[in-house]
Amino acid sequence: MADREQEYRELFAAEALETIEMMGRHLGVLERAPLDEPAIADSFRLLHNLKASAAATGFQAIADLAHALETLFGRLRVREIAFTGKVVGLFYEGLDALDELSRFAMAPQAGPAPDLTSLLGRLDAVTPADSLVTGASAGELVVATLPEFGVVPELVAPAGAPRMELSDLVSIPVRKLNTLLTQASELTLYRDRLRTLARELDLPVLTQLSDQFSRLAEDIQYAVMDARLVTVGSLFNKFPRVVRDVATAESKRVDLLLSGQDIQIDRNVLQIVTDGLLHLLRNAITHGIERPAERLAAGKPETGILLLDAQTDRDRVILTLTDDGRGIDRAAVVRKARLQGLLPADYPDPVVNTAETSTDASADATDADGDDVLHLIFEPGFSTASTITAYAGRGVGLDVVKLAVDTLGGRLQLTTEPGRGTTFTLVLPSSIAVKPALLVEDEDSFYAIGLTYTENVVSLAATDLFAAGPVLMAALPGTEEAVPVVALRHLLEGTPGLQRLLDRAALGPGPYPVVIVRHNNRRLGLLVGRFIGQQDIVVKPVAKPLDQIDLFNGLTTLGNGRVCVVLDVPALTAPFTGGRDARQFGKMVVGARAVPAALVPR
Amino acid sequence: MANRILIVDDSFYMRTMLKNILSDAGHEIVGEAATGQQAIQLARDTRPDLVTLDVILPDNTGLDVLKAIRAEQPDLKIVMVSAVGQDVIVNEALAAGAGAYLVKPFSEERVLDIVKQLLS
Repeated sequence: MADREQEYRELFAAEALETIEMMGRHLGVLERAPLDEPAIADSFRLLHNLKASAAATGFQAIADLAHALETLFGRLRVREIAFTGKVVGLFYEGLDALDELSRFAMAPQAGPAPDLTSLLGRLDAVTPADSLVTGASAGELVVATLPEFGVVPELVAPAGAPRMELSDLVSIPVRKLNTLLTQASELTLYRDRLRTLARELDLPVLTQLSDQFSRLAEDIQYAVMDARLVTVGSLFNKFPRVVRDVATAESKRVDLLLSGQDIQIDRNVLQIVTDGLLHLLRNAITHGIERPAERLAAGKPETGILLLDAQTDRDRVILTLTDDGRGIDRAAVVRKARLQGLLPADYPDPVVNTAETSTDASADATDADGDDVLHLIFEPGFSTASTITAYAGRGVGLDVVKLAVDTLGGRLQLTTEPGRGTTFTLVLPSSIAVKPALLVEDEDSFYAIGLTYTENVVSLAATDLFAAGPVLMAALPGTEEAVPVVALRHLLEGTPGLQRLLDRAALGPGPYPVVIVRHNNRRLGLLVGRFIGQQDIVVKPVAKPLDQIDLFNGLTTLGNGRVCVVLDVPALTAPFTGGRDARQFGKMVVGARAVPAALVPR
Repeated sequence: MANRILIVDDSFYMRTMLKNILSDAGHEIVGEAATGQQAIQLARDTRPDLVTLDVILPDNTGLDVLKAIRAEQPDLKIVMVSAVGQDVIVNEALAAGAGAYLVKPFSEERVLDIVKQLLS
């Protein structure tokens, strides 16, 4: 029975720590949003549990305090009192006391236990009036509650001394934040190791600790990520000036409308797309918006409209730039593309069609149907402008935008309607620190593939594979579709050309685990040794000279401590998406194979 | 007599305590759930003789879970478990078909008594 009691005490200690930690978080939420129902409901639940566990373990003082706080949360829930005014300080005082009592219970020191009588009395005596904000305005809410925390006397300036007001904001070089974020993110790696260990050893206490550590690691990571968030407005607000300058130079009249400036995004993500966005803006004015006379003739107002909007969708930020200009001329795109060799010389002119056309910019132009050629404007060097102007079309093309979005693992879409205007949509991750990836093993090395690129994992039999021209294809089980398939090890082997990749005999007997990756609307099957699973990874940049290898996006450390190469899917699929780059392929991969093996510590 | 029991509580502490008490007395613990969803699924999968059900769960109230389980298995015995101060819910739960309730902190005897009463 003594063992049981010891077990209960340890479980209680873990629960108390967890409750106190979570409560701290909930109180923080409530300070910003006093009516936040999930925070109130969860606090209520946690205190309710703690009360029961404390009573069962014999820590009556903790049970009493938890009960008093639970009651207050009940009153918050029915809106009898609010998390404002004096109430805020009391909750924090209660939480501090809970913390102190728990510590005392776990490791009783000499001396009496902290006395709760006064606090319990005050918690019981809370009235709705205590929620009133003292002071002139709601803006002073925090100031008004501060004295409740009890200020450390040494820090208070002597009476009569002039008070120095320091700003609540500090500026931190982004470099420091980046370092902090990388380190915080690495905590998640230890989290995974700890979890594995806890599972193997199957000790309840270790499991609890591991859970707490996990939450803390994630909290730290999010807190640092949060610190690096900026509003898109910080960039948007620089644009009116740019628009005015470009419009003046082009003799056009343009109004720029901004919306969603409050949306938050990782500063580094914003940095990466800044040039691209600027280019899109200039492009919209130069090529999209017509001159005033032309607009009048077309029955439009003289002044063109540019709308730049930001929205969030879960962990993504969606930026759209819409103009009400002339739209993109598909026929001109096709003519230009033929001239530049981006389309075959005999590629037909598109059917003139005034209906709205839309394309995922990553759709491939050499698609058998040739349905959508619009995205060709994102090819390097492409420009449909007949005259080169100061602001757009000087060889710097929209490929800048595409490259930026690709780098971030985002998506770029384009909708245009002749005579009515064009919309560019950039779907971006709101943060780039941690991303979910699929882990695979091939010939004793580990590889990670960003989940944004993976479409499916399948197990293929030898009979599912067949040669189609120069390419090995796989029929996907249960569908009518076929995708090109290549063995990852052959891709990385430095094979001088595609032929070797098709060598079915070199693959060995099936069944083959295959990851179907997708990029530019094109799919490729990567045949690997075995699937390991899904995991959040922190991608670290590759150091020289490995940064020369196109196929590697970066490195990451796995839960088992091994280094793992993060594959660059756009680079991997390039030779298979259209064939233009195939001739360069052999050159690109030469020597790549030797690297991962050397990198991976055994 | 060994009975098959499902324990539903979001507190690991309480689950452990109940599990210890019940399994020491020879009952078989067929599952443990920490959320309402898990509870409903496990009740369906394990077909227990009795469920101990906490009144406050992170995703549902114990009351919702009680109703959901009873809708599928009307004869299943359910013991509501609550800390003091939740009398309203307890009364509603009894009205909705709970067989008994336990107030935390509970004694070993009280738990075993209630289980015996309900399953005899």
